[in-house]
Amino acid sequence: MEKRTDKNSYTIIFAIGMVLIVGALLAYLASALKPMIQENERLEKQQNILYAMGVNENEGTSANFVSTEDAPKLFGQYIKKQLVIENGSVAEDTTAYLIDVKKEQAKAKAGKTRRLPLFVGEKDGKTFYIAPIRGKGLWDAIWGYVALDENMVVQGAYFDHKGETPGLGANIKQRFFMDDFIGEHLLNANGEFKGITVAKGNGDPKNNDKLDNEVDAIAGATITGDGVTVMIKKDLKLYLPYFNKLKNK
Amino acid sequence: MEHIELFFKSIFIDNMVFATFLGMCSYLAVSKKVSTAVGLGAAVIFVLAITVPLNWLLDQYILQPGALSWLGAEYADYDLSFLSFIMFIATIATMVQLVEIIVEKFSPSLYNSLGIFLPLIAVNCAILGGSLFMQSREIATLGLATTYGVGSGIGWFLAILAIAAIREKIRYSNVPPALRGLGITFIITGLMAIGFMSFGGMLTGGDDEGDKKDKEKTAQVETVQKNSITNEIANNTKVIE
Amino acid sequence: MGKDSRLILDPLADNNPITIQVLGICSALAITAELEASIVMSISVLFVLAVGNVVISLMRNIIPSKIRIIVQLIVVATLVIIVDLVLKAFAYELSKTLSVFVGLIITNCIIMGRFEAFALGNGPWRSFLDGIGNSLGYAIILIIVGFFRELLGSGTLLGYPVLGNPIPGELTGLYAYGYENNGFMLLSPMALIVVGIIIWIQRTRNKALIED
Repeated sequence: MEKRTDKNSYTIIFAIGMVLIVGALLAYLASALKPMIQENERLEKQQNILYAMGVNENEGTSANFVSTEDAPKLFGQYIKKQLVIENGSVAEDTTAYLIDVKKEQAKAKAGKTRRLPLFVGEKDGKTFYIAPIRGKGLWDAIWGYVALDENMVVQGAYFDHKGETPGLGANIKQRFFMDDFIGEHLLNANGEFKGITVAKGNGDPKNNDKLDNEVDAIAGATITGDGVTVMIKKDLKLYLPYFNKLKNK
Repeated sequence: MEHIELFFKSIFIDNMVFATFLGMCSYLAVSKKVSTAVGLGAAVIFVLAITVPLNWLLDQYILQPGALSWLGAEYADYDLSFLSFIMFIATIATMVQLVEIIVEKFSPSLYNSLGIFLPLIAVNCAILGGSLFMQSREIATLGLATTYGVGSGIGWFLAILAIAAIREKIRYSNVPPALRGLGITFIITGLMAIGFMSFGGMLTGGDDEGDKKDKEKTAQVETVQKNSITNEIANNTKVIE
Repeated sequence: MGKDSRLILDPLADNNPITIQVLGICSALAITAELEASIVMSISVLFVLAVGNVVISLMRNIIPSKIRIIVQLIVVATLVIIVDLVLKAFAYELSKTLSVFVGLIITNCIIMGRFEAFALGNGPWRSFLDGIGNSLGYAIILIIVGFFRELLGSGTLLGYPVLGNPIPGELTGLYAYGYENNGFMLLSPMALIVVGIIIWIQRTRNKALIED
C-alpha cells in the first residue's frame, strides 16, 4: 500500500505550505529587524571611516574601533566635510557616508555616472581625505577605507572582508597588514598614479621603503592580496582629478 | 575569448576540488572505482551546468538589490538578497531530486552504487559553491554563467577521475595497512592540490598589468637615473655660481 | 541508557564523522589555519546539528519522501539565516565573526548526512544525542588540525605567540635557535595531509577500522 506521504497531492500541498511558512517567517524577521541591522551598519561605517584617519582605540597589536556609543559624536567632531564627486563636480552632502559603493560600482558598469563619496577629516591640525574602496577577494567581497593627505600619501587604511579564509586572507584586517600601508605613496616619483601593489617577496618585509608603491603580502593569501591591489588601483584612481585640482589651488 | 578564458580558469586555476576544496566529501567517498566516479562526475557537471545559469537568472531578476525593477519603478528599492541562500539551495535541491529520479529510472546499478551520495550532491558544496561564486564574482552574462558552471563541473569531474584512477592502481602498491583506503587518499589529494597550485601562476599572465610591470620598472629606473643626473648638473651649476 | 550514551561516544572515535564517515571535510580543510576559527565553527555546527536533528526528527512522519532533500535543506538554511539575522540585529560584532561560516554550515555535508542517516528514522531525543555526538566528533578533528596548523604555521595558539618572537632582530624563544615557521602549514593542502596522518594513527590503534 502506498504511504500517505508518498502521494503527489500530499507532496504538493506540503511543499506549498512549507514555502508559505518559511517565506512568511523570513520575510517577517527580515523586515522587523531591518531598522536595527541598518543602524548597526551605519555605525560601523562611521567607525571604519574614523579608524582609517587614526581615530581608534588600538592597543598593542590589535585593531579596535571607537565604541559604537561614541561613534556618532566623534564622527561629527572629526569629519569636517562629506563630499560627493559626480561627473567632475564636487558637492557637499551630509549623508555621503551612506552611499553604497557596491551599487555605485554596478552603476558605473551599466554605463551610468558613479557618485564618489569623499570624507574630509581633521585631526591635530592635519587634514585627511578618506575614500571608500571595494573589490573582490578569494571567496567574496572585500572593502575598506583609505585616508590620504593632499599628495595622495596613505595616512591610514582599514580593510574588511565578507568571507576570506581565517588565518590567511582574513588577515587583511589585522594591524600588521593595514599598518604597512601608512606612509606609502600612491603616486610614483613623476607624480603619476601607480597605486600600491601587495607584492610577494619584494625584499622589503619590514616595509622601510615607502616610495616603492609596494607592501609585503600575507603568506598563503595571494588572491586576497591581489584583490587589495586591484581595488586600491581601480577605486582610488577615480579620485585623482580631485587631488590634482587640490594641488593646483 | 572571455568564454575560453573563464572556461579554462574554472577548470584548472579555480579547480573546485584542488583550489577551493569544495565537494570533498563525495570526492573522497565515491572515488574507489573509475566507473562510479565517472557517473557521479557526469551528474555533477549536469547539475552545475543547469543550476548556475538558473541561479544567475534568479539573482539578476529577483534577489539583487534593485533587481525587481522590471516589475515597475516602485519595486526598485526591494532587496531580497537575504533570501539568496535559500533560493539557490531550493533550486539545487530540486535539480538534484530530478537527477536522482532520472538515474534511478535509467541506471539502477549506478543508483545503487552512489547510495547516500546522490542526495548528498545537493549539499555537495561544489554545487552551492558554484552558485555563490557566480554571485560574488558578479559574472556578467547568462552565457558566461553557463560557461562557468560547465567549467567548474568539468574541473570537479577531472579531479574525481584522476583520484579514482590513482586509487585503482594503488591497490597493487604496498601501502601501510592503517593508511589503506581513506588515509592514503587524503594524502594523495593533498599532494595533487599542491601540484594544482602551480596553475595559479597562470592567473596573472592574462592580466595586462603583468606584462606592463616589467616595462614600468625599467622605465622607473631610467627616470630615476635621469633625475639624479639633472640633480648633479643642478648642484654643479650652483657650485659654479 | 547504555544505548543512548553510545550515540554520543561512538562518533568521537570509532565512528567519527570526518575520519570514518567522510562527512564535513570541506569545512575541516577551509578554516583550520587558525585554532580560534576551528572552535567557532565547531560550536556553530554543534548548535545547528543538534537543533536541526530534533526538528527533522519531529517532522519525519510528515515529510514526503520525494522532496525530503529540499525540506531538509530548507530547514537548515532557515535555521542558519534566522540566527544570522538575529545576530546582525542584536550582536553585530559576533555576527561579523560568524558571517564567514554561514555558507559553510549550510553546505556542511555532516548536517545533511546525519539528517538523512539518523534523524529521519529516530525519535527527537535520540536524534538530539546523535547530533551532539557527531558534532563533538567533528569538533575533535577540527581542533586537532587547527592546533597543529596554527602552531607550526604561525607559531601562535589562539593568536598568542607561544614559540617566541619571530620578528628579525628581536628573536626570542625557539626562534633564537634558528627555528622558522613553516608557512606551508597554512595552506589548505596541508590540512588534507594532517587529516591523513590522524587517520593513520587512529587506524593503527584500532585495527578493526582498517580497509582492505
